[in-house]
Amino acid sequence: MKPQTHKDSRTDELVIANKHLAFQYEERQKRATELIIANKELVAQNEEKEKWAAELSIANIELAYQNKEKEKRAAELSIAIKELALQNKEKEKRAEELIIANKELAYQNEIKEKRAAELVIANIELAYQNEEKGKRADELIIANRELLYQNVEKEKRANELVIANMELIYQNKEKENRAEELVIANREVIERTMQLELANKELESFSYSVSHDLRAPLRAVGGYARMLEEDYDALFDDEGKRLLGEVQQNAKKMGILIDDLLSFSRLGRKEIKKTNVDMNALTANMLLEIGQSISHHAQIKFSNLLPLRADHTLMERVMTNLLSNAIKYSSKEETPVISIASKKEDRQIIYSITDNGVGFDMQFGHKLFGVFQRLHSTEEFQGTGVGLAIVQRIIHKHEGRIWAEGKERQGATFFFSMPTNE
Amino acid sequence: MNNTEIEILLVEDNMNDAELTMRALSKSKYSNKLVHVKDGALAIDFLFGKGIYAERNTSNRPKLILLDLKMPKMDGIEVLTLIKADERTKKIPVVMLTSSKENPDIERSYALGANSYIVKPVEFDGFIKAVSEIGSYWLSYNQYPI
Repeated sequence: MKPQTHKDSRTDELVIANKHLAFQYEERQKRATELIIANKELVAQNEEKEKWAAELSIANIELAYQNKEKEKRAAELSIAIKELALQNKEKEKRAEELIIANKELAYQNEIKEKRAAELVIANIELAYQNEEKGKRADELIIANRELLYQNVEKEKRANELVIANMELIYQNKEKENRAEELVIANREVIERTMQLELANKELESFSYSVSHDLRAPLRAVGGYARMLEEDYDALFDDEGKRLLGEVQQNAKKMGILIDDLLSFSRLGRKEIKKTNVDMNALTANMLLEIGQSISHHAQIKFSNLLPLRADHTLMERVMTNLLSNAIKYSSKEETPVISIASKKEDRQIIYSITDNGVGFDMQFGHKLFGVFQRLHSTEEFQGTGVGLAIVQRIIHKHEGRIWAEGKERQGATFFFSMPTNE
Repeated sequence: MNNTEIEILLVEDNMNDAELTMRALSKSKYSNKLVHVKDGALAIDFLFGKGIYAERNTSNRPKLILLDLKMPKMDGIEVLTLIKADERTKKIPVVMLTSSKENPDIERSYALGANSYIVKPVEFDGFIKAVSEIGSYWLSYNQYPI
């Protein structure tokens, strides 16, 4: 209900207010019914609430009990709280310690991180080195295999050496034995040499005596025979003169023999002096000399004779002897031909003098070079039998060899070889 | 003998060789001016006027000495040594006459001052020829300082 401000509208408002009051009445009616119903409802609810209160009273008792229990519990909790407070303090202390420890750990951690960084670097380095070592290890494995192989080879070789060593030890012993034998043999040789030297000296004094003491009486024999011939020629008849002639001839022959023998013995003592010898010039010279003492009609052929190293004087004697022999023993031929040749063979030069004369029987060939050995009579061919012995001695002194080949009435060839210095 | 001029002194122990030598020289003009002594000691006595030759006029010296090498008492080498060591005799030519061809004798003789060294040939003709040629060479051709 609203206060009216204007008289014109008062009637309208009153109508509206009437209508409105009618409606409010209706409403109040309705509302009274509803309140009866609600009242009834409230009685029901009250009953319900009384029941609930009874239940609540029971529950209250229960709650009181529970409260007491809770008080007890609170007291216990208070104690427990105090305990916890203590524990809290302890934990705070501990926490402080832990903070410090934490800081320490953080520092250590930092250090460890640094260290870890270093280790990472070191690790990289180690990884690299590892790789290198791996490579090296591979190489070593290969090298090892090689060494193993070599080892096996060396063991084989060592075994061979052991065997070789045994062989050498054996040989050594043999050589020692041989050396001992040689020492003994050497002593014998030295003794023998001394004996030979002594014998040689004796021979020297012997030949000296021969030269002195045999020549003088021989000279006397020949000389007095000659004086007899000169002073008393008229007193001898023919036979007497022949006999005197024989005395003189034999004295002469013996003189030559003694001279030959002496020169042969002198050769043994003479030292050889080697020079380069031109055998062409030497041969030509010797032929010229021979031609002056013997007249002969032999045809002598030689060319390009090889030179050699030898004692010049002694080689002259060799060639004179061999050429004289060739001329002598071919002198009875109608057309005597003598050829001289030379050739190189191995480490020696071989010279040969060939004639087409009387030759000789090879059966007696070994006697050609002996002193006083002759294969022909003096009536047939003159000579003392010393010439070839002298030649052989000269050749031997030069460490050469001499030999001859021939056939009776079919000529002869004398060879001699001389070692060359090569 | 003291005043006789001496051409040759022959020192030879072998009488046969001496006779042959003298016979060879007899064919030359010097034959009667030769004195023969039988060993080295006598040769020294003769040259220096000693012993049996003490009375000899030693200024009368031979122009040639033929000296054998091998002799008793004093051999040719010793005689040669004494001759060549003395001023009075060192200029006299000495020819060694010997049977020996042995080298040491020849070398020693020349080293001691021998003027010649002759090996007596065994053969008579050779011997005669050698001796007479020695005589004529040393006494006719050779020029002395004296």
